[in-house]
Amino acid sequence: MMDGVVDRLMVLLILSDVALLGMSRLGAVIGLAALQGALLGGLALSASGETSRAVLLAAVGLSVRGLLFPWLLRRTARRAGVQRDLEPFVGYALSLLIGIVMLGASMALGARLPLGRAGVSNLVVPAALFTMFTGVFLIVARRKALTQCVGYLVLENGIYGFGAASVGEIPLLVELGALLDLFVAVLVMGVAVYRITAEFDHMDTQRLDALRG
Amino acid sequence: MTTALLDFLTALALAPLLPGVIARVKALFAGRQGPPLLQAYFDLCKLLRKSGVYSTATTWIFRAGPIVACASVVAALALTPAAGRTALISFPADFVLLAYLLACGRFFTVLAALDTGSSFEGMGASREVHYAALGEPALLLGLLALARQTGTMSLPSLLGRASPLAPEAALVGAALFIVLLCENARIPFDDPNTHLELTMIHEAMVLDHGGVDLALIHYGSWLKLWLWSALLAGVLMPVALKTIVTPVPLVGVTGVLAVALGIGVVESCIARLRLLRVPHLLATALALAAVAFILGVR
Amino acid sequence: MHDSTLVFAALILPALGAAAVPLLRRARGVLAVTCLVTLVDVLLAAVVSVSVLRKGPVAAAAGWLRVDALSATHLLLLSLVGGLSSLFAFVYFDDELQQGRLTLRQSRLFGSLWCGAFFAITLLLASNNLGVMWVGMEATTLFTAFLISVHISRESLEAMWKYVLICSVAIAFAFMGTLITAAAAPRTGAPSALFWTSLLADAARLDPRLMRAAFVFLLVGYGTKAGLAPMHNWLPDAHSQAPAPVSALFSGFMLNSALYCILRYLPVVESATGGEGGERGLLLALGLVSLLIGAGFILFQHDAKRLLAYCSVEHIGLICVGVGLGGAGTVAALVHALNHSLAKSLAFFSAGRLGQAFGGHDIARMSGAFRASHAWGAGLLFSLIALSGAAPFAAFLSELMILKAAFDARRGVLFATLLFGLGLAFLGLLRHAIRIAWARSDATPRRLPDRAIERLIVGATLCLLLVLGLGWPENLARAAVSAARIIDGGSAAALAGILP
Repeated sequence: MMDGVVDRLMVLLILSDVALLGMSRLGAVIGLAALQGALLGGLALSASGETSRAVLLAAVGLSVRGLLFPWLLRRTARRAGVQRDLEPFVGYALSLLIGIVMLGASMALGARLPLGRAGVSNLVVPAALFTMFTGVFLIVARRKALTQCVGYLVLENGIYGFGAASVGEIPLLVELGALLDLFVAVLVMGVAVYRITAEFDHMDTQRLDALRG
Repeated sequence: MTTALLDFLTALALAPLLPGVIARVKALFAGRQGPPLLQAYFDLCKLLRKSGVYSTATTWIFRAGPIVACASVVAALALTPAAGRTALISFPADFVLLAYLLACGRFFTVLAALDTGSSFEGMGASREVHYAALGEPALLLGLLALARQTGTMSLPSLLGRASPLAPEAALVGAALFIVLLCENARIPFDDPNTHLELTMIHEAMVLDHGGVDLALIHYGSWLKLWLWSALLAGVLMPVALKTIVTPVPLVGVTGVLAVALGIGVVESCIARLRLLRVPHLLATALALAAVAFILGVR
Repeated sequence: MHDSTLVFAALILPALGAAAVPLLRRARGVLAVTCLVTLVDVLLAAVVSVSVLRKGPVAAAAGWLRVDALSATHLLLLSLVGGLSSLFAFVYFDDELQQGRLTLRQSRLFGSLWCGAFFAITLLLASNNLGVMWVGMEATTLFTAFLISVHISRESLEAMWKYVLICSVAIAFAFMGTLITAAAAPRTGAPSALFWTSLLADAARLDPRLMRAAFVFLLVGYGTKAGLAPMHNWLPDAHSQAPAPVSALFSGFMLNSALYCILRYLPVVESATGGEGGERGLLLALGLVSLLIGAGFILFQHDAKRLLAYCSVEHIGLICVGVGLGGAGTVAALVHALNHSLAKSLAFFSAGRLGQAFGGHDIARMSGAFRASHAWGAGLLFSLIALSGAAPFAAFLSELMILKAAFDARRGVLFATLLFGLGLAFLGLLRHAIRIAWARSDATPRRLPDRAIERLIVGATLCLLLVLGLGWPENLARAAVSAARIIDGGSAAALAGILP
C-alpha cells in the first residue's frame, strides 16, 4: 500500500517535470517547482517512516521548498515585471520531445545503478534523476534569468528526492546545513536577478554578452 | 460474434448522432436552443440527393479519395471493440493495423486534396500531415503502453483490462483525448463551425467535393469520431462498468456519448489555439503517452 | 593553548567578524577591522597547521572537525595567500576610499563577505564530514558572489550571474556525488558513518560502481569550481570583474580549495575501485585539457586580469596532471600549488593597483607600468615571469619536478604535450610581461604613492618565490610528502627520491 502511494507521488513528480518543460508562464513554472517540493515532502515522510526526525525534516523542507521559495521567486518576478519566457533557445515542443529522451535515459540509468533502499518504490531514483535532468535542461535552454533560477530549484528538488530515496540517514546537521545553503542560494539568485533587471531593464541572459574571449 | 456485429451496426447507424450531441451541449452552454439532434442525418440525406461536379483538372484520384477514406474508417471500426466487448475482427497487435487504416484514409484524402491543384487545399493537406506526424506516434505509444500494462496484445482484451486507476491508463487517456480533438478537427485545434478560414485543417481539404462524395467524407469523419470516442471510453471506463453484460450495446454507446459530452464541454470552455501552438499541444500528448510507455517498461 | 581550541577559534573568529563588521560606522574602520580579523585568523590557522605537520592530526568537536597533513598544507596556503590578500585589500580599498569610489555600504558589504568567505573556507578545510565539507564549499560560492560585484556595473553583474549560476549548478552536482557516496557507505546509523576517517577505513567495502559514478559527479562539480576546462567559462569573467583582492583570493585559494575536495575523495574512490576505475586518468585528461586551453587563451588576451585568469586555468590543469601522475607527481603538484598561489596573488595585486593608476586593465593601456609605480611594476613583471615558469623562480622547480615525474613514468606523449603546453604559456606570458614593462602607451597614469607596506608585500612575496625556486626547504618537502601520502594512499613515494 505504502509503495502504491510513493509510486503515485513519483508519477506526479514526473508529470510536473513534463509540464515544466512545456510551460512558458513564469507563475505556472514557479508553482510547479513548489508542487514538486510538496511531493518530495510526502516522499521523505513515507520513505523514512514517521519518526519525529523525519516529520521535522519533511515539515522544514516542505515549508522552505513549497512556500518560501515560491514566495521569493514570485516577489522577484513581480518586482522585475516579467510574465513569461518568450522565445527560449529550445522551443517548447522540442523541449517536450527532449524530455521524453531524458526520461528514458534516467529510467535506464536508474535501473543500472544499484541504488534505492529496499522497501522504497523502484520509481523513485529514475524520477529523481529525471527531475535533475529537467532542472539542468531548463537552465541551459531558457533565456530568462528567473526561469534559470527555477531550473536550479528543480535540480535541487531532484537531488533531494534522490537523497530521500537512496540515503536515508544523512545527519540532521548536514541536512539542515544543505537546506540553509539552498535557501541562501535562491536568495542570492533572487537579489542578483533583481539587480540585473534594475541595471539592464531586462533579464535576458542571452543579452548578457559583454564579457567574452 | 453476434454482439460484436450488433455493436458494429450500432456504430454505423448512430455515428451521425455525435455531432448533434456535441452541438446541443455547446448550445446549452451558450444559452441557445441549437440545431436538432438529428441534423447530421438531414445533411446526409440532402447531400445524397445531389450529384458531384468534377473539375477537368482532376483525375481518378480525386474521385477515389472519399471512397477509400470512408471505407478505411469502416474497416478500422470493425477492429474497434465497444467497451469491454469483443470486436468484429481481432488478432494480436491489431492496433497497429488500426493506426495504419486510419493513416490510409488520411493519405487518400490528402492525395485527393493535392489532386485539385488548389493552393488552399494543398495548405490544408500540409497541415493535416504535419499534425498527424505528431498524433500517430502518440496513439501507437499510448496503446503500446496499455499493452505493456495489461500484458495483452489485442485491442479488445487491452481495452477490457485497462483500469483508469492505474497511472498509465490515466496518462494514455489524457494523451488520446488530445489526439482525438486534433484528429477530428475539434477545438482547440480547429473550429468546425467556421468555414473557409485560413487556419482550417480538415475542412480546407474537402472544399472541392460535393454531392455523394461530400456525404461519404462527412459520414467517414463522424465514424472516425465514433471510433476514437469508443477507444477513449474503453480506456477511461472503470473495469466494473466494462464487465456488465447486456444484449444490446448499451454500455458502449453510453461511453461514446459520454465522450461526446466531454468534447462539447471542452469546446465550450476553451478557445481555438493559434496555429503555431498546435504542435506544442500535440507534443504534450506525445510526451504523456511516452511517459506512460516508459512507466510501463520499467 | 590546546590545538583543538585553536581550530575552533580559527573557525569562529571570522564568523564573528562577518557579523560585527556591518555595525561599524566608518568605512576605513570597517576595512581595518576586516584586515585585522582575517590576519589573526590566518595566524591561528598557521599555528594549527604547523603543529599538525609536526605532531600529527588534530580532532575537535567530537570528531566533526579534523585537521590532518593534507588539510594542514592547505591551511598553510590559506594563511599565506589569505594574509597577503587581506593586507592588500586594505591598501587597495583605502585608495578607493580616498578616490571617493567606495561608499560605507560597499565597504561593509566587502568586509562582511570577506570574513564570511574565510569562515567558509576554514570550515571546508577543517571538516571531517563529507557533508559539512560540501556545505563549506557552497557557502564559499555564496559569500563570494556579491564580492564580484562590490562595484555594480553591467560587466560585474554579468560576471556575478554567470558565477552564481554555473557554480551553484556545479556544486549541486557535487552534492549528488556526496549523496551517492553516502548511499554506498555502510548504514550504521551513527553520524560518524560519513566521516572521512571511517570512510577511509571502510573504503575497500564500498560499492565500486557507485563510487565510480560518484567520482564523476564530484569531479564535474568540484572541478567546475576549481576552474578545470571545459567547465571554466565562469572563471575569466569572475576573475576579471572582481576587485583585485577578491580575484587574488579566488585564484590563489578558492580554486585550490575546490581541488582539495577532489583530492579528499581520491583515496576513498581509489581503494573502493581498487585503482582500476580510471580516476587518475580522468584527472590527467582534464588537467591536460585545462593546461592546453589556458595556454592557448593566454596568447590572445587584451585584458591583464583575464590573462591572469586563463593562467590560473593553465596552472590548475598542471596541478591536476601532477596528482594524476601520482607519487612524486603528487608531491610536486602540492608544492606547485603553493608557488602558483603566491605568484598569482602578487600578479593580481599588481594588476589591480596598476589598474587603479591607469583606470583600466587593458594591457595596451597599462604598458609602461613602471611609470605608475616602481614597486607594483616590478611586482607584475616578476610575477608574470615567475608564472611563466622561468628560472630562478619557484614555479620553475615544481614544473620541472612534474615533468620529471611524467618522464619517469614513461608517459612519452603526456610528457611531450606537457612540454608543448608549458612552452606555449611561457611564450604568451613572457610576451605580455615584456609589453607591460617596456612598451609605450598614450595613457598617462596617476602616480601611486610609494608606501612601505606596499613595498613590503611585493618584496616579501618575491623573496619567497625566489627562495622556493632555489630549492625546497626540508620542512616544506616533508609536509608535502605527508600530504601526498594521504592522497596516494599506500603508494606514496619516499621522501629521499623526490627532493630536487
